[in-house]
Amino acid sequence: MGLVEKGLMPKPLTTLLNTARKYSLWVYQWGLACCAIEMGAAFGSPRYDVMRLGVIPFPASPRQADLVVISGTVTDKMAPAIRRLYEQMPDPKYVISMGSCANCGGPYWDSYSVTKGVDQIIPVDVYVPGCPPRPEALLEGVVLLQERIQNEDMSERWRGEPIVVS
Amino acid sequence: MSPEGAIAEETEAPPEPDVEREQLLATLAESLGEGLVESHLIPGLDLWVRVTPQAWTTACTVVRDRLDLRHFDFLSAIDWMPSPYGKGEDDPTEEPKELDTEVVQGYAGGETRFQVIARMAGTGNHLAVNLKVDIGDDMTLPTIVGVYAGADWHERETWEMFGIFFDGHPGLKHIYLPGDFEGHPLRKDFPLIARMVKPWPGIVDVEPMPPQLEEEPAASDAPADDDAGVQDPPGDAAESATGEPSVTGESSANSEGDDA
Repeated sequence: MGLVEKGLMPKPLTTLLNTARKYSLWVYQWGLACCAIEMGAAFGSPRYDVMRLGVIPFPASPRQADLVVISGTVTDKMAPAIRRLYEQMPDPKYVISMGSCANCGGPYWDSYSVTKGVDQIIPVDVYVPGCPPRPEALLEGVVLLQERIQNEDMSERWRGEPIVVS
Repeated sequence: MSPEGAIAEETEAPPEPDVEREQLLATLAESLGEGLVESHLIPGLDLWVRVTPQAWTTACTVVRDRLDLRHFDFLSAIDWMPSPYGKGEDDPTEEPKELDTEVVQGYAGGETRFQVIARMAGTGNHLAVNLKVDIGDDMTLPTIVGVYAGADWHERETWEMFGIFFDGHPGLKHIYLPGDFEGHPLRKDFPLIARMVKPWPGIVDVEPMPPQLEEEPAASDAPADDDAGVQDPPGDAAESATGEPSVTGESSANSEGDDA
């Protein structure tokens, strides 16, 4: 994929590639607290049916994943593990930070053990606020991420600003 | 206190002597002798016993073997010192409140800043004992892992959270905190840095409500309705946008209903 990373891919081919990528997001779940239950409700239930968005929520390991949803309270003790498993994901990889705790520490803003935002350890593409966010909000985050992937210039992958669902 | 029926009578009736717990206490006192410093018994509820550090292991053994309370409930510590930082929830614009410095110990008293408390319960009855022990300046207590194996992790937690060492513990290492963590976070003088650099966000708990655009503006539009005009300042702003005379009567009736 050297051409893609250099941004030398012909444009129609880039569009085709991006469309393919955005509808085949294998999401790897980092359930850390109560948001994990909400993520399970949003991703695993037929009511919200995340697979109609092309999100496939069951890779067996981060090595098969395109996207990780950090849902829940990140503690300083868990942070190295998050970083490590994020580094095991193959590029291009995306991160959704779900809920107030993963975004900024949330109600544990003054805790001695909580990392105040997962973006301190890994780059985040989409922040989904809420405590917990509604499933619709999480799906909106997925849709916004897909928009970003669709318009993505691979060479600028790492220069983008994060998206905030509002 | 309250004049209501049976429940109040039940609680106000003089408690019956708690034979079983008094028996526990008597056995402990007999076995420990000088080792038992103080005790507190609430009949029908619970029993607190404070022992000397020297008698700590013995007391636990007696509780297990003679009192037959074989279920180890928990072990933890208490830091009785009032926090030198206050609650950290005060409005920073106000005068700083005077901090409480008086140390008030709990049931069965105490003489030191730190106390270790352990609770053992019976499996076949509803009895339990809360054992307390003062921790001196050496911050050390003999371990009770040999008596209750379940105390292992509890002592590790107490060690890392309060900095109390347990002499003879098989593996006193971190259980919750990362290995390089400095300090003992459950001590009252452990500073929460976030609170030092930023006032508690809950101080600004009350955000202004968004202006209601549905019915209220129309109500203030009604010339006869003085109340709505006075009570609803945001309505004035939106007044010109939605002024329909046909809705006026209905919505002013609504606002009157809200007032009542």
